Amino acid sequence: MNTNDENDIGVVFRKTLGHYTVHTDGREIDCVLSSLLRKELIFPTADPTSLRHAVQEVREINHVDPVAIGDRVRYVDAGDSRGMIVEILPRGSKLSRPAPVPGQRVFEQVIVSNADLILPVFSAANPTPKWGLLDRYLASAEAAGLPALIVINKLDLAWKNPSLDEDIEIYRHIGYPVLLVSAITGEGIEELKQALQGKLSAMVGKSGVGKTSLLNAIQPELGLRVKAVSNGEVGKGRHTTTHLEMFQLDFGGTIVDTPGMREFGLWNISAEELADLFPEMSEYVGQCRFGLSCRHDHEPGCEIRKAVMAGEISPYRYQSYMRLREEL
Amino acid sequence: MRARATSSPFGDFRCSNCHAIVSSAHLLSGVNNRNHCPYCLWSSHLDLFAAGDRLSACKALMKPIGLTMKKSRNKYQCEPRGELMLIHECVECKSLSINRIAADDDSEMVMTVFQESLTLGHQIHALYQEHGIVILHLDDKELVHTQLYGRYAKIPVFDWM
Repeated sequence: MNTNDENDIGVVFRKTLGHYTVHTDGREIDCVLSSLLRKELIFPTADPTSLRHAVQEVREINHVDPVAIGDRVRYVDAGDSRGMIVEILPRGSKLSRPAPVPGQRVFEQVIVSNADLILPVFSAANPTPKWGLLDRYLASAEAAGLPALIVINKLDLAWKNPSLDEDIEIYRHIGYPVLLVSAITGEGIEELKQALQGKLSAMVGKSGVGKTSLLNAIQPELGLRVKAVSNGEVGKGRHTTTHLEMFQLDFGGTIVDTPGMREFGLWNISAEELADLFPEMSEYVGQCRFGLSCRHDHEPGCEIRKAVMAGEISPYRYQSYMRLREEL
Repeated sequence: MRARATSSPFGDFRCSNCHAIVSSAHLLSGVNNRNHCPYCLWSSHLDLFAAGDRLSACKALMKPIGLTMKKSRNKYQCEPRGELMLIHECVECKSLSINRIAADDDSEMVMTVFQESLTLGHQIHALYQEHGIVILHLDDKELVHTQLYGRYAKIPVFDWM
């Protein structure tokens, strides 16, 4: 083991069960996690006169995994391209969701940290876009203070979805940029490259929308494994990418490919904060008859409901808001 | 409009008007989307583009204001004029909707709505006609009765007839 007190700093690019690949100075270090990062040590109240600093209690941390892709970590170099992560440096941003693990406690799952851009990827058809899921991604991105670029893949299949333009217009009207691409024909790929340049971006979306195919189209030498969506009428994607991984892009920037996510809840958001995560609603927050106490449901004098009825807010977005609110 | 209405499953509810607990079981109502209270026939303004889409932000009460007939695509239907429908009007935004009468709707209450609709003025009839809704009038009383109680049921003579 490296005997120096100074530990190295790197970025987590890939993680599989118990192993983290940390990139530093062009090297890849296969790291394990220090047990201290999996525990929370509780010390007695600090008393300057006391010489005893014994740990009173050890608690499990409230995370599925304390390390996320994109984390800047301090590690101890053990030589032979191996090491141990001993500290996670403060995160600039994080995209989280409640861990979909059945059990009594709900844990935070940080999907990606220190990202600059979130790319919710949907397919024009096959599978049909779930706009409610997009609203969840967008609200999460807003909560994390991250800009989002909506990517609609499989443009070559757009003829199967006659309402696509109308649906996209809802998001363009709010102010979200929407990029129409096709990993098959290459349409829109150059624009996507420009948007990704110099940024740490994270692709999110359900299975089968073509996230990995897009990555292959952006950078063919990656040669990542892709599969066709299941045959028949189901049109559902098959889980092809099974782990999170970050890739360095030739033209500058990094991108995180995530496994398909069918469920996406909001982490650490209160019901009162939710309307602020819908940019078109945020301007009405506090203007209702019941002020900040308004739940924007049945309350009389609700300005958000009024805006929906006046056509200023999409009823679909309002419905997404109500569904998310019910979960909080 | 999105290709598929994003209807969410909804269960039993309490009527906002009469506060009765209403079951949404298809077995009782005979309809896919329970639209109104079977006891007082009042509804809530929840749907916007299609039945069951639950996209309306109005959410105000909808009053049953009359009856109309809707042509059905069922060529075997015995009544050529179609199916008896309830007309609801939103008490806040005044939007109209016509809704199927459920199997467990109170027939007496439907007759009461019909009776009250007879007092609606010509102007209202004309206004609804602009929306393509023809409110049934006194001449249709036999039709209404037949639709509610069957063709062999004796038509009672009400004092308002």
